Formats: sequence, C-alpha cells, structure tokens
Amino acid sequence: MHDKVLRNTTRRVLDWLATRLAAPWRYTTTPSAPLATAPTPIPAARTARSVGNDDDNLVASMLAQGRYTLLLRPQVIDNLNELHLSQTVLELQERMALVPGGQVVVGQLDPESDDDHSDDAPCVQGRIVQVDPVFLDRYPVTNFQYQQFVDRSGYEEMAIWEEHILPALLDFVDRSGHPGPRFWTDGHFPPGQQNHPVVGISWYEASAYARWVGKRLPSDAEWCKAASWPVSVSPGNWLQRKFPWGNTFEGHRANLWGSGQHATEPVDRYAEGVSVGGVHQLIGNVWEWTSGAYGRAEDTALALPVPMKSIRGGAFDTYFESQATCQFQSGENPLSRKHNIGFRLALGACDLAPQATALLLHGTAAPKELELAEEVRV
Amino acid sequence: MSRGCDLPLDSYRLAHYSVQVPCYVCDGGNTYDAEICRHCHAPMALAHQSAAQKTHPAMVAVLGTTGAGKTVYLGMLMDMVSRRPEPLQVLARGAFSISLQQLTTSALARGYFPEKTPNEPDRWNWVHCQIRSKRHRRPVDLIVPDMAGEAVLQEIEHPRTYPVIRSFLRKCAGVIVLIDAIRLQRGEHDQDHFSLKILMFLDELFDQPKKKKQPQRPVALVLTKADQCERCFDDPVAFAKTHAAGMWQHCRERVTKYRVFAAGVAGACAYRRELGGGRRRIPLRVEPRGIVEPFEWLIENLAISTKT
Repeated sequence: MHDKVLRNTTRRVLDWLATRLAAPWRYTTTPSAPLATAPTPIPAARTARSVGNDDDNLVASMLAQGRYTLLLRPQVIDNLNELHLSQTVLELQERMALVPGGQVVVGQLDPESDDDHSDDAPCVQGRIVQVDPVFLDRYPVTNFQYQQFVDRSGYEEMAIWEEHILPALLDFVDRSGHPGPRFWTDGHFPPGQQNHPVVGISWYEASAYARWVGKRLPSDAEWCKAASWPVSVSPGNWLQRKFPWGNTFEGHRANLWGSGQHATEPVDRYAEGVSVGGVHQLIGNVWEWTSGAYGRAEDTALALPVPMKSIRGGAFDTYFESQATCQFQSGENPLSRKHNIGFRLALGACDLAPQATALLLHGTAAPKELELAEEVRV
Repeated sequence: MSRGCDLPLDSYRLAHYSVQVPCYVCDGGNTYDAEICRHCHAPMALAHQSAAQKTHPAMVAVLGTTGAGKTVYLGMLMDMVSRRPEPLQVLARGAFSISLQQLTTSALARGYFPEKTPNEPDRWNWVHCQIRSKRHRRPVDLIVPDMAGEAVLQEIEHPRTYPVIRSFLRKCAGVIVLIDAIRLQRGEHDQDHFSLKILMFLDELFDQPKKKKQPQRPVALVLTKADQCERCFDDPVAFAKTHAAGMWQHCRERVTKYRVFAAGVAGACAYRRELGGGRRRIPLRVEPRGIVEPFEWLIENLAISTKT
C-alpha cells in the first residue's frame, strides 16, 4: 500500500515537475502550446535565476514545504539543474542526519545489568537487527511544517491516506472542526508555537504527512540506532548508550517531567541532548511514532486492548527517566491523538538518486560516516 | 533450658502505663507503647507525632471503589508534590509516610500497578505530612490514609465493621472521591452508585454534630484513568453530567463545595496474562496528569480555619 501511494505521489510530482522543469527553454506563457522542437540539455552554466523565476519558485516552494526529498528521487533528479540540486542536497543535509548502517540491539540490551526485577518486569528482551543507512530528521516535525500540509489540503488528498483509514479521516479535526491536529483551532496551530513539535496527530496522520513530503516513519531499529549509536566491541558484545549523550540521565539535556516545564518546548531547545549523529530531542519533549508495532509476537503473555503502534523517546510529562531511554518502548492506539505524541521522519539512503548520494558523501560535505565514527564515546 | 536473668525495675514505665494516650483518629485510650490503636487500628505514631510537634493535623480522605486508583493516585500525588516546591510544598513527617509513595513509584517504574490495598486497617499506609501553600500562612499538617475501597463499602453497608473509617471520616476536613472514568464510559453504573453512597454516608456523618456550625468540607470528585478516555480531560464536568448523573445531581443539591477533576497516571495500558490464568492490567508508561490540581484545590478550601 505504502509503495503504491508513494509511487502515485512521486508520479504526480514527476508530472508536475516535468511540465515545468524538463524543458524550461520551451516554457511559454501558454502551457498548452505544442512543443515544436526536441529538448536539448540545460547548459551547465545556466543558473536558476537565468532559467526563470517560476522554476526557482517551484523548487523554493518544494523546499519551503519540506518536500525536498521528492526532488532527490531518481525519477525527478535529472530534471534539476546544478543549483537546484545543490540547494536541495544542502537542505537535506541541514534537515536530516545520516545514521550509518549496521546492527543494533532493539529492546533491553542486558536485562540483568540494570534491573534486579527484570525477570518479572514486562520488558522487551533485546534482539539484534540489521539497519540500512538512513537519513533521520534532525528535529521532530514542527507545527509550522505541518501547517504546510494542512494548508495545501493534505487531508483531502486521498492518495496519501491508507484506504482502510478513510472513514476515520472525518474525525481527524481540530477543536473547531477543521481538518488538522487535535489541539489546533481553525486549521492553525496555537499562537507562538510554530517551532513546537506538532502533537495531537494520529499515527495515520503522521504517515500521510510522511508520504506528502516523500519520507516515511522510522522503524524502531532505525530510531534506536540513531539514538543509542551502538558500537560492537567484539562479536556478540555491544555497547549502546542508554541516552543519546551517554549512560546517565541529566535533566538539562531533555524535557521530561523532572525538568519542570510540563509542556512542549521548541524543537531547537535542549541542544545538549543531541545524539552523536546530530539528531535533537530524541529523548523528551514528545513521544515519537515509529512505523513498528508495539509488543513482540513471541511475547504471548502480553495482551493489547487494540493493536498498538510503537512510540519512543518519552515526553515532557514522562515521570520516570527509565521510561525515556533509547531502549524503552511504549505503545499507543494508532488512532489516538494525544497531547504528547509527535513524530520525526526518515528516508532510506537507498531511496535517493545515486547523484544525490554521491553529492552527499563526496561533495562539499565531509564523508559523514567517518566523521561521526570518530566522535563515538561509550 | 531456660535462663534466669535480672531485670531492673523501670518504674517510669509503670508511670507511662498509667496514662492513657488517646488515638488521634478515634480518641480511644491506648498504652504509651502501643503501635496501633487497640480500638480502631490506626497507627499510634500519628498521636505521638501530633503531641511531640504540638500540631493538630487535619485529615483528608481519599475514597473510591476497589480498583478506582486510590493507591496510585495518592502515592503519585505524594511523590509529585514532594519532588517540587510549587504549587504546594510537602514534607513528610515520619518515615512511615514515605512507604506509600515508595510502594507506588517502585511498582509503576517496574511496569506494574501496586497490589490491592488489604482490607485490614493495620496494613494500610498512612501519610502524615506538612504542607505549605499560598493560602495558608502557617503550614498545614495533614493525615491521609490509603483506605481499602472494599473496607469503606463494608463500613457503609455494615456500620462498625471498621471503626477507623467512621472515626476518620467524621473528623476529616476534606474528601477526594475517585471515580473510575473507564467504567463510567462503559456504562457501568456501580461507580455512580458507589460515589453516591459515599456522599450520602458523609452527609450522615457530617450532619451529626449540629450544636456548632461546622465549616463546609470540600469534596473533590476525581475521574480517574482519564488518560484512557480523552473526552474526560477535555470537559470533566460534561463527562460527569453524562455518565454519573446521580452523583452529579446529589452534589448540586447537597454539597456546597465541590469540583470535578480528571486525572490519569498511565499514558496507555495493556494486560499481562499471569500463570494462574488471570490477567493483570499494566501501565505501558507513566505520565501523570491532573493529579495535583484536585489536591491543591482541596487544600485551598480545606475546612480547618480554626485549627491551623
């Protein structure tokens, strides 16, 4: 389903761009005018400004809406000129951090090490998962970013919503009955909260937004890998951080109950809680939806009232620090629109066009994996 | 084989024994070294502390059906207010006052709800604490027991089963009634009926001393487990009107000071099957909400104007 929708979205963007970017030198004020000549390549030296303001605006608009990853899809990237490409890649570098591929232990790393009661506690035992390289949003999705989606009729674009959830779409309204997050009014976020993480959205709304911007929700393993930054010291032995900054909780690095804020904070606060890979607020402020399901099939003793989706990271009202670690997983009904659940998005490195990947790894930016690996302190 | 030994005659002990120490809850006489009151089974530490510190603690009752969340509410409340100075500053008096919050938070941190409170009063956890708030210039001493819901119900149905409950409620300066919002939402009327019973029982007790004009005791009606039904948080009053009409009507007619609140401790819950075949409700995370507000309101309106 997801692939189908993604294909549809990509095709629509592709069609849209094709009419405006593919042959800019033939662009006229009458779009329906027949094409007279065969297309020729865009001169390398030609800048975006010289191409025309409409094209600039188009790319700028895609960038402003946070939909830059759509421009870097293999089907679209050939239509970008160099400036647009570098702008888009730069945008991706600024907004997303690379999480290198590798293995990660999802769940409790060593059940006997930090919990004497692990035998009877309902913890999830760790399992080793292989993760492919992935880009992860540096910050949770903000109200301002989500506003773009609402303003551009994201709730009416049926192609990005899962078919089985369409009947529930009418319930995804704000306080005043407009489509949007639960705690908004008249289709707008509360004043002064543009930089706060968007909350009051169900798992399905988060997924629809992800499709709209050309990304997806991270899996549990990807989220854990970004946060705990595992290092294999020897075969079978893993060192993973309990918190993105180390193994000890420090109140000034994350917005939990003990921090005393008792509300969401802007996503750029608590910079000291950044992960090794440069991802902020993985712990605290808001729980984050992931693509995975809560609970494990092997855990037959656990009975869920409804099938739940996994959430991670803890929120501003999480009381125990032990429930806001990189390993801790909680669950929530995917239709719930809670005041303390938001999300951030991911994009598989393999989903980018090879040109974009090459530019990211060998372009102006330093090779990310090597640079980050040197910073590892466990 | 028995050994003989000489014991000094501690005459001061005999002197102590000759003076009866009244229980703080039921006023019954006890020996000075009694651990619990022989009449009502309340801890005598309350009386000793009150005498030693020359304070007159007010009493607040937290009532509700079995499983309404009294232990979790009270334990979390005490832990929360003792961890931060605003809006209320709470200091526990006596080591025994810490037991309830310790029991509650350690269970919740491990991913379980605390065990059901036993019916026997001598096994209840009591909290004695000092509270500083903006309204009361002088700090207020407070005694709050974690009473078993079943015992309260039995005392209502069969008076004198648990004398401590009657004695305590007669003296209490404020009441928090917990009502399970999930069961209300399901349409189960037992929550409505139980809260009505409690309110009427309190009416009977409070109406007895008619000689002097008593201050109005505030009643905080707390819809618990509201995290499982979000509408409850949005508008607790509307929720109470809709789902607990009997209780709501009674409050309007008979209770002068009351307010409806919504509270929740677990963000989400699941069930864990146990070896015996049953299943146990477990919290998937702990994110207290609306816990302090009812207590804060109660303290602001406490009927202790002449006692502090």
